[in-house]
Amino acid sequence: MAKQKAFYFDASACIGCKACQIACKDKHDLPLGVRWRRVFEYGGGSWVEQNGVKVPSSLFSSYLSTACQHCESPVCRDVCPVQAITKREDGIVILDSEKCIGCRYCEWACPYSAPQFNEETKAMTKCHFCYDLQAQGLNPACVDACVMRCLDYGELDELRAKYGDLNEIEPLPTNEITNPALVITPHKHSQKSGEGTGRILNLEEEV
Amino acid sequence: MNVHDWALITFTILVQMSVGSMWVLGAVHFFSARKYGMEEADRMSDRALLAIVPVIALGFLASLLHLGDPFNAPRAVTNITNSWLSREIFFGVVFAGLAVVFAFMQWRKLGSFGQRNVVAWLSALAGLVLVLSMSMVYMLPSQPAWNSWNTPISFFTTTFLLGVMAMGAALVANFVYEKRKNTGKTTNQLEILRATLRWISIAAIVLLGIHLIALPLYMVTLAAGSKAGLATVQLLAGSFGWYLGLRVAFLVIGAGVFAMFLYRYALSAGEEKTLSTLAYAAFVMVLAAEVLGRFMFYAAHVRIGI
Repeated sequence: MAKQKAFYFDASACIGCKACQIACKDKHDLPLGVRWRRVFEYGGGSWVEQNGVKVPSSLFSSYLSTACQHCESPVCRDVCPVQAITKREDGIVILDSEKCIGCRYCEWACPYSAPQFNEETKAMTKCHFCYDLQAQGLNPACVDACVMRCLDYGELDELRAKYGDLNEIEPLPTNEITNPALVITPHKHSQKSGEGTGRILNLEEEV
Repeated sequence: MNVHDWALITFTILVQMSVGSMWVLGAVHFFSARKYGMEEADRMSDRALLAIVPVIALGFLASLLHLGDPFNAPRAVTNITNSWLSREIFFGVVFAGLAVVFAFMQWRKLGSFGQRNVVAWLSALAGLVLVLSMSMVYMLPSQPAWNSWNTPISFFTTTFLLGVMAMGAALVANFVYEKRKNTGKTTNQLEILRATLRWISIAAIVLLGIHLIALPLYMVTLAAGSKAGLATVQLLAGSFGWYLGLRVAFLVIGAGVFAMFLYRYALSAGEEKTLSTLAYAAFVMVLAAEVLGRFMFYAAHVRIGI
């Protein structure tokens, strides 16, 4: 198997503090609206009336921290008309903003919103797995920032051997579109992608 | 709605209209030359052919507006082996180049008829591949609203519907000009025009039928297909309901009602004034309907995922 770097996320431990998101934003000095790593709150359920009182019934929610999945079949790379997106030998998918013409086609193709448009430079940008830090033997900024230790990274096959091969929980899309290099430990309330009964509860957040 | 989307609406509509117009004009020229000779056929269609050139130019200019860095646009053909967007740009350039060369050759009567004919055919065929590439650009698995048989069907229907309506209006305008200029007898020109407008009306009604059958089928299959697809249908029927209603109304009026009147008035001579009003009005209606349709195409797609 070819080398493939991958992220690991432990949904059962995430408390939704968004330290990973902010560490990423800070490290890469991302402008307003651009978030290479994002934390979603996903939940659902309802309230029922019991003896004249509304009580929660089947309410659930959990967090999902997600970035670029450095997919094994990156659709963003395939559709880019100027070949600005490439997959490195270690599996990391990188975007050369200098080559980018800002047509935003990758934005339409990626179901994870990994490529994001920088309004200031008029070019796309995306998570590059902090390959600069990794080259120095350091961890990606998001992984080091996680206070609950629910983010990890490494070789995909090693992560799978350690944590299993789940890579699709709501609100992520099903894995067949891009074959994401991602390993997840689910929360007790996590639902399989495509079978969710909830919705993203923090869509209006913008940093 | 933003500049990005309007650039794409303008580009796709104008370029599809140009491709359709090339085919319609080719057919008009072929049939009128067979019956009335080359000179009358040229007189009928040459100005309309020249009118396509600025439309193509405007379309491509608009396409640059959707880029963050238009100056690097020439590099956009480099991923032709993988990306339909690269293919669209490649065939766009081929179509535009050949169409402009053909229009120039035809205008100045450069080369033999056979040579011009070859360029015209190549340009028209490149146009078809272009419209196919344009549809394939949107066949992205994460975009259920686009990743549907409806995209190529509606793109091609729009291509030919805009083609017939635009050329109907252009040929009428050409006739009015010929008559005012008094360049000679216009009896044959009127004959060709009336026959053409009758065929244009029939084509418009058939194409309208395809649009009207495809739309509900598309919405039903999309709603049943996925959550994101259902969300698009809810948008189309909900917040975009007015736009959708207007689009259907404009289509029915332009390509249905006006086309029927166009057919009727084109049956007898002496109705040139009514014919020209109808042809212009039908074109404007259909153009407005297609712009509305393309607007919703870009505004109401809901992507799978986050």
